[in-house]
Amino acid sequence: MSQISISHRSPYKLSRGHKMVRRTFLKKTIKLFFFVVSSISISVFFLFSYPWKIRKKELTFFYVTDEDMLPVKGVRQVSIEYSRYSRPMRTKAYIVNTGSELFALSPVCSHLGCLVNWNWPRKRFLCPCHGGQYDITGNVIKGPPPAPLSRLPMKIDKEKVYIGLRV
Amino acid sequence: MGEIFDWIDNRFGIRQPHRKFLHRDIPEGVNYSFCLGGAALVCFIMLFLSGIMLSIYYVPSETEAFNSIVRINNEVRLGWFIRSFHKWSSNLLIISIILHTIRVFIYKAYRSPRELNWVAGSLTLVIVFASGFTGYLLPWDQKAYWATEVGTSMAKTIPIIGKYLLYLVRGGEDVTGTTLIRFYAMHIIYLPSCLFILLWAHFHMVRKQGIKGGL
Amino acid sequence: MKNEEKEFYPDYLAEILLIVFIALEVTIVLALVYPQGIGRQINFSTPYRPLPEWYFLWLYQIVRYFPGRWAFVGTILLPVTAVLILIFIPYIDRGKRGRLKAILAGLILLLSFLIFTLLPALNP
Repeated sequence: MSQISISHRSPYKLSRGHKMVRRTFLKKTIKLFFFVVSSISISVFFLFSYPWKIRKKELTFFYVTDEDMLPVKGVRQVSIEYSRYSRPMRTKAYIVNTGSELFALSPVCSHLGCLVNWNWPRKRFLCPCHGGQYDITGNVIKGPPPAPLSRLPMKIDKEKVYIGLRV
Repeated sequence: MGEIFDWIDNRFGIRQPHRKFLHRDIPEGVNYSFCLGGAALVCFIMLFLSGIMLSIYYVPSETEAFNSIVRINNEVRLGWFIRSFHKWSSNLLIISIILHTIRVFIYKAYRSPRELNWVAGSLTLVIVFASGFTGYLLPWDQKAYWATEVGTSMAKTIPIIGKYLLYLVRGGEDVTGTTLIRFYAMHIIYLPSCLFILLWAHFHMVRKQGIKGGL
Repeated sequence: MKNEEKEFYPDYLAEILLIVFIALEVTIVLALVYPQGIGRQINFSTPYRPLPEWYFLWLYQIVRYFPGRWAFVGTILLPVTAVLILIFIPYIDRGKRGRLKAILAGLILLLSFLIFTLLPALNP
């Protein structure tokens, strides 16, 4: 009803066909308006909340132990102290000597990021979260991890052992 | 009491519209299992109230979060109680929502014309789970940290986009203070707002479509 | 329960308040009897076995079953499928034997939730 009364008052005296074209145009414009505004706001939200820069991690070497404390054959857990945003942090790493090779292993499970523990009686690294098991060289024996434990760079300088961490 | 309320109501006029809102026809075959949804709403209100109380003392920062939890537990008057209350009502909320879903399923109340209400209810369940997950990080202790480390690492396992999704969720490469603030905002603003909208839609549809009666 | 003469105030309000009272009471008693403790401070050098909250135990359990490249099945695909099934239950219940299909879908969801919650809870 209201449409008729408006058309009477309209100064332009549009014909019925014209009016329909105009109204479909208006309807489409309104839909377009909502579509554009909502998609812009959603993209702005994601652009805004995505981290503006992923901090490049630098490889830094930390003193962990002396050379004569290295394992002769087996695994030794060392703790590494470093600072993040000037707060002291402490993490661990494993130094492994298989008899033929000496290297450092990162304890971060390749599955979902828990820290593995060395199980001495069973001679393997066990992940406490989802049952991943690694052998002494860090290869996956059992469980869901997709990749072996990553090796950390290690260097021995003047009888002191340093392990490189990306912090 | 009644006279004062009448005096206010004569001027304010709250009784008439609300009576219309609250009065509804109760169909045959309704029993106490129909209260589970109401129980969930009660739990949600308790969570909301205890949550806004906790937000006075909680500090969402990497250095202060744990200390503020210790302060709430040990120093704030009744702080330990409000914290336990928040925790337990979240557990009860999840239990009552699950039971409510089962009840609705058994009574076939998801059938036309109530499909949309079922959808709104399931989305509420999802958001409640998400609130539980984001709230878990806030104490910033061992349990919280590792649960979040594992939970957010799950995003990384998606092929192709996983890495970027992980950065988006954590606000960086590792779980840090940035992640904590993100989760805090989700827990206290984003998810509760979604819940309010969904619950409003849920109750609006219950009112419009009426309560589905017995089997 | 069914009664034409029942009014919102006081009949239904009394019943609603009964539910409110029970929910409040249960929560208060649980909070008093089992208060939330304070966890340990974050430490990367001590062994720690994280367990999720009980309502995420099912997820914790199913990610164990998908090794290597297939991890995303347990972490994303199955949970998302479960949520989609839950949301689309009214649309599963369509046509002949719709209810049967819906009951099947609902039972699968409920039973897998229960089984995968109980498995890690019973033998950690």
